[in-house]
Amino acid sequence: MEEEQLIAGLRSRDRKTIEYLYEKYSRALFAVISRIIQDKDIAEEVFHDAFVKITKNMERYDASKGRLYTWMANICRNAAIDKTRSKEFSNAGKTNSIDDYVYGMASESGTSEIVDGIGVSELLDRLSEEQRFVIECIYFKGFTHSEIAEEFDIPLGTVKSRIRAGINVLKKNLEKI
Amino acid sequence: MDIQAYISSGKLELFVLGELSEREREEVLEMAKKHPQVKKELEEIETAMFAFDNQSGPKPSSAVKAKIFETLDNEVFEEKIDKKKNTTTPVVPLQPWKTYAAAASIVALIASVLAIYFASRYYQVDSRLTALIQDQAVMAEEVDQYKVRFQEADAQLETLLAGDFDRIPMTGEGFEIQQDARVDVFWDKNKQEVWISVNNLSSIDEDKDYQLWAIGEDGPLGIGLVSAGEKLSLQQMKAVSDAGAFAITIEPKGGSESPTLENLVVIGEVA
Repeated sequence: MEEEQLIAGLRSRDRKTIEYLYEKYSRALFAVISRIIQDKDIAEEVFHDAFVKITKNMERYDASKGRLYTWMANICRNAAIDKTRSKEFSNAGKTNSIDDYVYGMASESGTSEIVDGIGVSELLDRLSEEQRFVIECIYFKGFTHSEIAEEFDIPLGTVKSRIRAGINVLKKNLEKI
Repeated sequence: MDIQAYISSGKLELFVLGELSEREREEVLEMAKKHPQVKKELEEIETAMFAFDNQSGPKPSSAVKAKIFETLDNEVFEEKIDKKKNTTTPVVPLQPWKTYAAAASIVALIASVLAIYFASRYYQVDSRLTALIQDQAVMAEEVDQYKVRFQEADAQLETLLAGDFDRIPMTGEGFEIQQDARVDVFWDKNKQEVWISVNNLSSIDEDKDYQLWAIGEDGPLGIGLVSAGEKLSLQQMKAVSDAGAFAITIEPKGGSESPTLENLVVIGEVA
C-alpha cells in the first residue's frame, strides 16, 4: 500500500487500513518504546496508549513535514520518555541499557527472527565507544541530545556529530542484519 | 551554503529523532525542498531508522494488539459513526503562535512566582511594622508615666529646697514589730508642712493602714496614712505646727482617732 493511500484510509478511520498499519509498523514502534522501558507490561501499556493516540490524531499528521513512520515513532518515543519521567515509573521500573536490551531480546526468543547476517547485537558492537554511548543515551535511555550535552558535559556539536556517525554505522550495516 | 556540511552537522538525524524546535524543523524541510541531496539523505535516515527499529525488537504480544483494537472499537470506530452524521473533524494545523503562547506562559509563570514572593515579603514587612507601632505605643505610654513621675519628683524637690525643713528620722529599733523599719519625716515648722520618705517599711494586711502621728503638747494627732509601697518618694502629710516627736502605728483600715500604742512601729524625736 502506498503511503498516501494508507494515510487517506487512516484519516477516514477505516478499520482494515488501521489493521494494515498495525501489521506493518507495530514491531518497529514497540521497539522504540521497549528500548527505553524495560518492563514489558509497562512498555505494552505505553504502546497501547501511543497507538490509540496515533489513530485518533491522524488528522494532525502533515505529510509535507516528514514520513509517517517518523511521526509515529516520535509519538511513541515521547510517550516512553514521559512515562520514564512519571512518578509511578521511578518506583516501578528503570531504563534500559544496550546490554540489558540485547540480553533481553536473546532471552525472548527474538533471536530466532534474526535469520541471517550479523544481528542487532553485533551491529551495535560496530559502534565506537563514543558512538555507542550517545546511541545508548538517545535510543535506550530516552535522553534528548541537549540533555546528553548537559549531563555528560559534551559540547552540543560533538553530541550531534556522534549521533550522526552512530546512525551512519547502523545505516550502512542494516542490510547485513 | 555548503550542503555537505549541512548534512554532516547531524541536524537531519535530530530531525528524524523529533528533537528539533518548530523553527529548525521548518528550516530542514525548506532545505530538503531546495536540495535533492538533503532530501535524499533525510529519506535514507528515515528508512534506516525504521529498518533498525523494525528488526531490533520483540513483537508486541497478541494480547496488546487485542486490547488496542478493543479500545479503537470503543473509542474511534464508534466516534466515526457519530461523526458521519455531523461534519468531519476540523484540521488543526501546528500553530506558529504556540511558541509565543509558551513564551507568554513562562512570563506569566515568572510573574506569578514574583508576585507570590513579593506578596509574602509585603505581609512579613507589614506584620513587623504593626509590631513596631505597638512597641512604639507602649514606649510612648511609659514615657508619659515617667514624665508625670518626674514632674512630681521635681515639684517635691523644689518644695524641699525652697522650704526650711528639718529631717526627723524615725526607727523601729526599740520595738518588736519591725526593728529594721526606717521612715524619715521632713518638717517645715514655719510653713507647717510635713513630708515623709519611706526607706524601709514592710507591707501589711489590706484591712490595716500605717498612720502617722505628730505628738505635741496636746497629745498625739493623726496627720495622715502612710503608703508603705511608695519607697523613697515623698508623701505629703497634714499640716502640723507643734510636735515634739513623730511616730507611726498600725491601725485598722482608714486610721484611728488615737494611736494603738501596742502597734507602734517607728518613732523619732524632734531634735
